[in-house]
Amino acid sequence: MYRYLRLPILLVGLFLAVSAYAANNSQPALTTEDGLGPQVQQPIEFPHNRHAGLHDASDPNKGGMEINCQYCHTYARRSAVAGIPPLQKCMGCHNSIDSVKDRPRIKELFKYWEAKKPIPWKKVHDLPDFVRFNHERHVKRFVEQQNRPVQEACGYCHGDVKEMTVARRQKPLAMGWCASCHEKDHPVTAEGGTPVDGQAYWYSFQKPVKTSDSALAPKAKGPNDCWQCHK
Amino acid sequence: MSVSNLLENWAQVRHEHPINDKPHDPYKWAMAIDLDACTGCNACSVACYAENNLPVVGREKFQHGQQMHWMRVERYWDEDGREFPDQGFQFLPMMMCQQCEAAPCETVCPVAATNHTADGLNSQIYNRCIGSRYCSANCPFKVRYFNWYDYPTTDNVWPAEMTQQLNPDVSVRGKGVMEKCTFCVQRLSAAKVVAKGEGRIVREGEVQTACQQACPTGAISFGNLVNPESRVHKQWEAQQVVLDKDKQEKDEKEERAVLRGYRILEELRAYPSVMYLERVRESAV
Repeated sequence: MYRYLRLPILLVGLFLAVSAYAANNSQPALTTEDGLGPQVQQPIEFPHNRHAGLHDASDPNKGGMEINCQYCHTYARRSAVAGIPPLQKCMGCHNSIDSVKDRPRIKELFKYWEAKKPIPWKKVHDLPDFVRFNHERHVKRFVEQQNRPVQEACGYCHGDVKEMTVARRQKPLAMGWCASCHEKDHPVTAEGGTPVDGQAYWYSFQKPVKTSDSALAPKAKGPNDCWQCHK
Repeated sequence: MSVSNLLENWAQVRHEHPINDKPHDPYKWAMAIDLDACTGCNACSVACYAENNLPVVGREKFQHGQQMHWMRVERYWDEDGREFPDQGFQFLPMMMCQQCEAAPCETVCPVAATNHTADGLNSQIYNRCIGSRYCSANCPFKVRYFNWYDYPTTDNVWPAEMTQQLNPDVSVRGKGVMEKCTFCVQRLSAAKVVAKGEGRIVREGEVQTACQQACPTGAISFGNLVNPESRVHKQWEAQQVVLDKDKQEKDEKEERAVLRGYRILEELRAYPSVMYLERVRESAV
């Protein structure tokens, strides 16, 4: 009886089961339409461009102050995680900058300070829990050893933060994207950087070959072992 | 083995014996376990549970063979006519992944989720694992454990307050993946970052595995076999155990009680990285 109904019922049932499963497992989209990360609402709209942006020679009140990334994000060069600068770091400067104390964002900042509460910043670059990423190694590799500008080195993963107000994720931060850089031959040293001999042991990099020809400057790939990043 | 090797040459994954053409430099992690010092107290096993977020599965699942102890202490004894059999020869090996150089598990994984690292470890990538359990079937030591349940969420192995004690440096594995002893790779990795920043290799004694740290009698030593200063290297050398031999040529003149190093199931040519020191007993001395 109703044999002809069997297949449609099965298909409808399957569809419902799959869609119910999909609805329960809805995860936030990895990227938005323009290929960037989601817009994160921060408690204070922190203007990165004002702090880290370039000077405007014509009008000192416009433009940025070219503060080094590592002045506030100080843990990036000495630990795995970059950390969030404490409120004390903000107050270190803003306590003595009277000209902006009447601005709404700075008033908000002082409110947190007087309440003795940390600012509940939201995470923008959040890697999955199974990933072992180390900021220190990357800063040492590119800033200290290869003598790249700090903003460029940070920008490899964080984008051009000096143009942003509230930071927004610019890169996919997915494994294929990480590997695309780790598989490139990067020059090892540069003028002003730490020489090869004085640097870290070349474990899990290709050990660079020293040549007298400057055109054949030593190059090395990033580590490509699975356990280097997966935990 | 690595991402680029995987992409360039799939056959490299089935690389037979990494030390022939790729000598370990500068690291080869290895272990030596002195069974004479071991009292069988199980502190190593407990330390491993705490360090590596292992689920405590309970009595019923244990009886089904679904236990997750990466490090287990096995007890065997001869029934040689004594009143109580355990008065006789006891054999108390701590069994954990032997980190074989030519690991039988690696060659059978259909997705290359387990493969060799440059420092001689047998890595297990949970994200890549599809749960075929072929590796476990092929492991002669039976030290690979499968997640039959979604322990973190369903089985309440870590009650709410206990999730705070989970180690953040180790993934909490989900249902359907294989897992095994990693030689505490999270500690090795942290030590290597420190060493690399200072332009040197990891020094002897700088890194300890959880089981080694917990052992009250110091029966477990762990370190870099390549480094001639390391305790592990000295022990392997003193016991005349060579990593890439399946039959050890020992000096016949030496007393058997002095040369008591051996590796388990060596004749299978898996070239394990763990050397055991035989228990000294009455009949042997």
